[in-house]
Amino acid sequence: MTDRLTVERLSVRFGGLIAVRDVSLRVATGEIRGLIGPNGAGKTTLINAITGTVPIAGGRVLLDGLSVSGLPAHAISRRGIGRTFQHVEPFAELSVLDNVLVGVGRHSHVPLAHAAFATPLAHRREDQAAREALAVLERFDLLAYRHTVAAELPFSVLKRMDLARALAARPALLLMDEPTSGMSESEADRAIAAACALAEAEKITLLVIEHNMRVMMALAHTVTVMQNGGVIAEGKPFEIQRNRTVIDAYLGDEAIDAVG
Amino acid sequence: MMTLTLALQLAIAGISVGSIYALVALAIVIPFKSSGVLNFGQGEIVTLGAYIALILTQLALPYPVVVASVLLLGAAGGVVIERVLIRPIVKAPEFTLIIATFAIGLLIKGVISIRFGDSPNTIDGPFGTEPIMAAGLRFNPTSLWIFVCTALVTIGVMLFLRSTRLGKAMRAVSVNPEAARLMGIRVETVYRWSWAISTAIGALAGLLFAPLIGINPEIGQLILRGLLAAVIGGFTSIPGAIVGGLAVGLIETFSGVLIGSTFKNLVPFILLMVLLVFRPQGLFGAAEIKRV
Amino acid sequence: MQSRHRTIVVLLAVLLLAAAASTMGSYPVYLLSLAMINVIAAIGLNLLTGNSGQISLCHSSFIAIGAYGSTLLTARYGVPFWAAIPLGALLAALMGALLGAPASRLRGIYLALATLGFLQIVQIVIEEFANLTGGVRGLTVPKAAAGGVRMSEYARFLIVLGCCMLAIWTARNLLASRVGRELNAVRLSPYAAQALGVSVHRVKLAAFALSAAYAGVAGGLQAIVVGFIDPVEFGVSAALRQITFIVVGGMGSVGGSVIGAAVLSAMPEALRPVKEYSDVIYTLMLLGFLIFLPHGLVTVWHVIARRMRRHAPTAAAEARP
Repeated sequence: MTDRLTVERLSVRFGGLIAVRDVSLRVATGEIRGLIGPNGAGKTTLINAITGTVPIAGGRVLLDGLSVSGLPAHAISRRGIGRTFQHVEPFAELSVLDNVLVGVGRHSHVPLAHAAFATPLAHRREDQAAREALAVLERFDLLAYRHTVAAELPFSVLKRMDLARALAARPALLLMDEPTSGMSESEADRAIAAACALAEAEKITLLVIEHNMRVMMALAHTVTVMQNGGVIAEGKPFEIQRNRTVIDAYLGDEAIDAVG
Repeated sequence: MMTLTLALQLAIAGISVGSIYALVALAIVIPFKSSGVLNFGQGEIVTLGAYIALILTQLALPYPVVVASVLLLGAAGGVVIERVLIRPIVKAPEFTLIIATFAIGLLIKGVISIRFGDSPNTIDGPFGTEPIMAAGLRFNPTSLWIFVCTALVTIGVMLFLRSTRLGKAMRAVSVNPEAARLMGIRVETVYRWSWAISTAIGALAGLLFAPLIGINPEIGQLILRGLLAAVIGGFTSIPGAIVGGLAVGLIETFSGVLIGSTFKNLVPFILLMVLLVFRPQGLFGAAEIKRV
Repeated sequence: MQSRHRTIVVLLAVLLLAAAASTMGSYPVYLLSLAMINVIAAIGLNLLTGNSGQISLCHSSFIAIGAYGSTLLTARYGVPFWAAIPLGALLAALMGALLGAPASRLRGIYLALATLGFLQIVQIVIEEFANLTGGVRGLTVPKAAAGGVRMSEYARFLIVLGCCMLAIWTARNLLASRVGRELNAVRLSPYAAQALGVSVHRVKLAAFALSAAYAGVAGGLQAIVVGFIDPVEFGVSAALRQITFIVVGGMGSVGGSVIGAAVLSAMPEALRPVKEYSDVIYTLMLLGFLIFLPHGLVTVWHVIARRMRRHAPTAAAEARP
């Protein structure tokens, strides 16, 4: 069976700086992969490269065996790769519901003419989309905020919104960039539980960047460790925790939470 | 039939007209480089300069006095604009700044129209209209004077930026205002000076061009040529602005002869669109132009 | 429930307006028509600039394309106005897409310059192809007729009123639907939009075409209401006036377009004794709003509405014994 995500010798360059160096990894369908590493390791850049936000200098990306590297970002998204953002990137002036509706819009289409003239078809599809969006909001305890404008909400709530929005699009593969940053322990646990439940129900493969080791170790089937743009280790969470190279990489890095 | 003499004659005309466009482009690029604001009202600064020259000439003041006054009043106008209209919105989204500078231009044009009406005026160039013959070519003294002034202004600006404290401060601010501020440079003062210099140059362009094209409220239209010149040169390059201006002048003069009059006016704008699509950074500009 | 009440109120207001207008002289009715034409154009520009976030200095060019297009169809090919105007709008939309294709990849000053360039190109084409457009001297529009009978000022007003209501209705529908969400999304966060499968380029291009369509309708209507097309109406001052409507009214909402266009359309009449000053007054107003009330009059409206809602529950509580 083809892997859901195959990254082959991927490199990303910014001018003279090599941010991602010859990275290869394979994530099986239904797997939850953790991606950890000290700050500046290139984790977010790797996600940016997979989603087409930054240009690839070498190597390629395959989704279910089909190449997606080189496609424009929105096309990659339409193939089934979704992501959440380290800094949320909210549609600040829109309500939480509208934010999530944009996600739903990836598979729910109302043609322009129908939308303009408020035809029965437009009503049907908009109602259906709203129902879907509200269901996702409920999973993430966001119903109370559905009409609140995103700009007025605290960071942790927006992180949940970002998660809900990305999952509402029903991706085949979801790349999550520090989904629990800014959240309290209980918030983080609930958000991750909701995301995993949805992922299992919809058969979504997850690749998660996390600095919260407690969450990471409990969540991930396999963990990939990056440093200085390259992969330095890969294995089961408990193996990684005892891995000499990994521990050395984190020594002196203040972002690490409790190990083990 | 394009003979060498005709071509050279056209080139001379193109360079002299191009010098004005170069000055306008310079006036656009200087505040853009330092403060990131593109003054869409620069065309009307040129118009203002022409009308100031008109008033002062009608007062029978000698030419050097007129030149100095145009420069000073132009600079003063820039300071007023920067302080009163630009400063309150300098942090606003780009849309606001673009529209505001446009509006300032139209405001100036409106005031000029009210005061002077639409009827055209003219002033004489400082060296008369008797063409100078050299090497079998005909040189218009006003055109020569424009070229000389443009060259002097360009050299002056480059020396200023390279050697004076304020000039170096301006260059520092254009690269990184935050770092400049940390180094003790008063960024607001730099902005004010860059506006003053640019409006002084713009006003001077109005004075210089007036004997060639007359004085009327519509002069400001030549901002379009100045903008095209800035695009060709790349918005952040001073030598680029000059090269761009001369290029536009030459293109305009030659296309007037080579293409029918119907389409010759379209050439600059088609060129503008092509450049914006394929090479917005022009010849010398940085590939990614970000407003800091 | 609320929105059904609102629809009835709006329909009643429209009927009242139509009834009131039938009693007015033809000049006030003419002015009302022009105001509503401005509303239609403003709605188009607001979708492009306020919602999809693209500055455009050439909106008046699409009004021109609609005006000349529909007039030429009627004058040369005998197409009746009710077909000519939509066709003119279609032509404008196509030109909008043509400009939008490259322009939607540009931002900031480069986009402003591209639209400015387009404006100039259209101006030059209007002037140079004088055998088609009448050049600088303008084009007389054949008198609009319905069923062979020449239309009265009031009949034209009703047509404009109908189109204006249609414009408001369609624009509100669009903004409440996925189209509106996508327009705003590409402005608010292009990265998030891309990540959710929205093609920023395609949405922005569509925004150009859409706004040009509204402008084209406004142009076609303007031609039959005024009876004459004057190219001076489509220059830089006119483009800035269009922008003033949406800045003063409020960017990003249909209400803002309506308020801005309605308020500022009343001005030329008020300013008639000081006509030469109109450019100056417009620009001062624009600058004033940009500096002091950048979100437009519609924010004032919202504040009032919110205050009224706060008082309403108390009244209801008092009504209960």
